[in-house]
Amino acid sequence: MKKIITIAAVLALAPTFASAESFQEAFESNRAMYGKNHTFEWNGKNFSTNHEEEVEAAVAATKENALDLIAKAKAKNKEAAKLGFEWKLTGGILKDAQKAADAGEYRKALDLAAQAKYHSRMGIQQHAYAQSNWHLSVPQ
Amino acid sequence: MKIIKKLALGLGVAAAAQMTQAADSGFDLATVNPEADRVALQNYFESRFPQSEISDYVNGIYAVDASSREQWEELEEFPPYEFAVEEGETLFNTPFANGKGYADCFENGGVGIRQNYPYWNKEAGTVKTLEMEINECREANGEKPLKWAKGDIAKISAYMAWTSRDKPINIEIPSDDPRAKAAYLDGKKFFYAKRGQLNLSCANCHVQGANIRIRADLPSPQLGHTSHFPVFRSKWGELGTLHRRYKGCHKDSRSKPLSHQVEVYRNLEFFQSYMNNGLVVNGPGARK
Ligand code: HEC
Repeated sequence: MKKIITIAAVLALAPTFASAESFQEAFESNRAMYGKNHTFEWNGKNFSTNHEEEVEAAVAATKENALDLIAKAKAKNKEAAKLGFEWKLTGGILKDAQKAADAGEYRKALDLAAQAKYHSRMGIQQHAYAQSNWHLSVPQ
Repeated sequence: MKIIKKLALGLGVAAAAQMTQAADSGFDLATVNPEADRVALQNYFESRFPQSEISDYVNGIYAVDASSREQWEELEEFPPYEFAVEEGETLFNTPFANGKGYADCFENGGVGIRQNYPYWNKEAGTVKTLEMEINECREANGEKPLKWAKGDIAKISAYMAWTSRDKPINIEIPSDDPRAKAAYLDGKKFFYAKRGQLNLSCANCHVQGANIRIRADLPSPQLGHTSHFPVFRSKWGELGTLHRRYKGCHKDSRSKPLSHQVEVYRNLEFFQSYMNNGLVVNGPGARK
């Protein structure tokens, strides 16, 4: 949880660093090259290649944790839907997560909820990106 | 045909000179210029597909892909929508329980008016589509609204399009209400914004990707997109409305599609139809 907070803080400050490589770029290239559970350095600090949702899912597989992450994922997906950027499969993944939790498969439920939450966050990010870049493919 | 092409080109060039705008404008309410957008889109397709006549874009992919055109022309010899138009006419002329009918709700008795839809309705402060007004007409007369995607609503819409064939599409964006332009801009933005798990915009397939094979499909140019709706799609085996198509295409980016007739789909229809101003109504159409 600590880690997520630092990431969020760094992201918020990112523009002032005016770094050659943005945090996003550094994260993505390290993730692509080394996969999960790798540590990389960016602007003199260490970061994990795990997505914030993977960090959230890496908790004890208990009913409470599973239901908690499902609730967070649902809220995030609602946010994406409100912006009109909900992805096609997310609702189904959330249902599967709930089913897994009901069946006592808490590890599976956590992983599915993490995936749904990731989809939702990406949809929200897409919306933000679209606000300033949608015009790029308009013929002039 | 040659003459028409020359004329269109001449007009295009003259208009382009007036209408060209800076490359970094047209993306906010202050600078958006629908007429400049329309001309720019035509010019774009004219240089992409110099062998195609602008007036032929109402025929979708068949305007630019010679190989599928022949099949389609055969299909159109015995139009698969013929019976649906006849049924639509019957439905259109069948009075409601209160004795009134669709003809009472529309200008000119509902005949030959498709080219004016969708339009900005100032009182309601929203874009009205033809299908929306068909259902509003029913509700105003104590009838239940029809389901949006297909069936009776598509047949009635098809008949109304049929009575409007060859009329030039004439979408107006009234300058006395800034909300109209905002609706246009909203539709334009929807069309060009990337979305969904595949991170695709409508434009990725229907502008840059027009006539370029994407998996098993060839997307049509967006110019002409709305002229022939509702459409009889062989894949559906029946008529479907424009918003049915919007939902399917929206899903193709792996997004969760929105509901029929939501505001942003109507704004999208407003934008797309404005792009077709000057082309003619040729609905209902037939597609693979
Ligand atoms: C992955 C590519 C893809 C995306 C993204 C996509 N479409 Fe399509 N679209 C197609 C294909 C393929 C067809 C069927 C061939 C054709 O264009 O007629 C089609 C058909 C259509 C048609 C019917 C054309 C006709 O002549 O009957 C319309 C209208 C349309 N799309 C609008 C849209 C809109 C609006 C969006 C954005 C919400 C969109 N499409 C996104 C691929 C795409």
